[in-house]
Amino acid sequence: MTPDVVTRAISQAILQGGMQWVVSTIAAFMPGLWALTVIFHLARPYILRTVRKLTLRFGADVWWLGYVLVRDGVMLITFALSTIFLFPNLLITIPLPLTAPLAAVLLFASLYVKLLYDADEDFQAYRVSTLLLAVGAALYLVPQIFAIEATSQGWLAGVANFLTSTSNTAWVGPIDALSLVGYLAIGGLIYLQVAITGRRFGRKRDQVSEAATIAS
Amino acid sequence: MTGSQLSQAIIKAFLQGGEGFLEGTVAALLPLLWLITLALHLARPYMVRTTQKFSLRLGADIWWLLYVGIRDLVLAVVAIMSFMYLYPDVVVADALPIGGSLAAAAIFGVMLVKLVADADDDPRAFKLVSTLLGVGSALYLVPTLLGVQLSSAVWGPGWASIAKALTTNTDPGLAVALSWIAVAAIAVMGLIALWYDLRVPVQRVRRERASAGLKPDGQGG
Repeated sequence: MTPDVVTRAISQAILQGGMQWVVSTIAAFMPGLWALTVIFHLARPYILRTVRKLTLRFGADVWWLGYVLVRDGVMLITFALSTIFLFPNLLITIPLPLTAPLAAVLLFASLYVKLLYDADEDFQAYRVSTLLLAVGAALYLVPQIFAIEATSQGWLAGVANFLTSTSNTAWVGPIDALSLVGYLAIGGLIYLQVAITGRRFGRKRDQVSEAATIAS
Repeated sequence: MTGSQLSQAIIKAFLQGGEGFLEGTVAALLPLLWLITLALHLARPYMVRTTQKFSLRLGADIWWLLYVGIRDLVLAVVAIMSFMYLYPDVVVADALPIGGSLAAAAIFGVMLVKLVADADDDPRAFKLVSTLLGVGSALYLVPTLLGVQLSSAVWGPGWASIAKALTTNTDPGLAVALSWIAVAAIAVMGLIALWYDLRVPVQRVRRERASAGLKPDGQGG
């Protein structure tokens, strides 16, 4: 083996290995981010109970804005990182959960509900966004636990082969296409309702908040 | 060996090494985080006592919300980091404490109790949370000390066999079985949390906020 061959081999290894490492790291963080998204979303009753215990509106507002900021920030980061699951080449070269693109679409749908309806006040909107998140999390976590991280379990081989993107490439194309259509549809709806019709433009309220109005 | 084979070998080493490093780092951090979680939870009487010493309600509120925020954030971080104990491949491959998966289930139990009951005001809920945290940290810390960190058999062959039984990669059958039990328990708790959230009407929550009796800041102190 000549020095040139070794140089090319190492540089190829750095490039390909680096790319795979970045994707694998994102995929490794995703279960945690999904779980955190669901935990923060479901923690709403607990957070409201704690708001009740603060004696000043200042403390209550800081607590509430901290919660909403962290909850929605985690949700947005999870959504942004989920974009990698829409790349078909990654799905067929790196073992990833087969239904991860569908989970990303459901997360996008949940964000759509939160963006265009008041999920913090309207119970129906809250229910819909919660169910979308729960099904999305299940679509990500079930293949992650029972397929990607269970290759050592022989009795799960059939399930693992079916739910892993690299061993079920026949399903990758249709799922990816369906997810892309879902992304386009939801993105289009948001654009239509916010930018074109302007019906969901949003109007800044004069009063600070309902709780503040009641308290004063 | 061809150039392509060398590339593949380096890529494999890079990925496996990176994964092992990440899992090892998380496993090394978790005992500390479990201790911090337990310490912050048990620090409640001190925090309440300090809250009563503030002359301004603003200071008391900031102190209390910082305490609750940090305590619960550390709890959530431990739960998320414990997620790796639900992966059979990880528990089979790495030397981890055998009770890690059950400890993960315990911490999810803590979060469920905090969601459905008022663990800050209801002494029974607080006791249940304390018990779950105590059991969880014991399940994590005992196998860490007497299993993972004792594998060099410093105290003789008797202890070496105990250490083997308390480490996941030397007792993979039990480790994987406990992982599946934890997965089932967490799935059931997740469904209960989902059911609880979906049945709490926002209208009631709004009334709760309204009846919170929050006072304008000017009246504080």
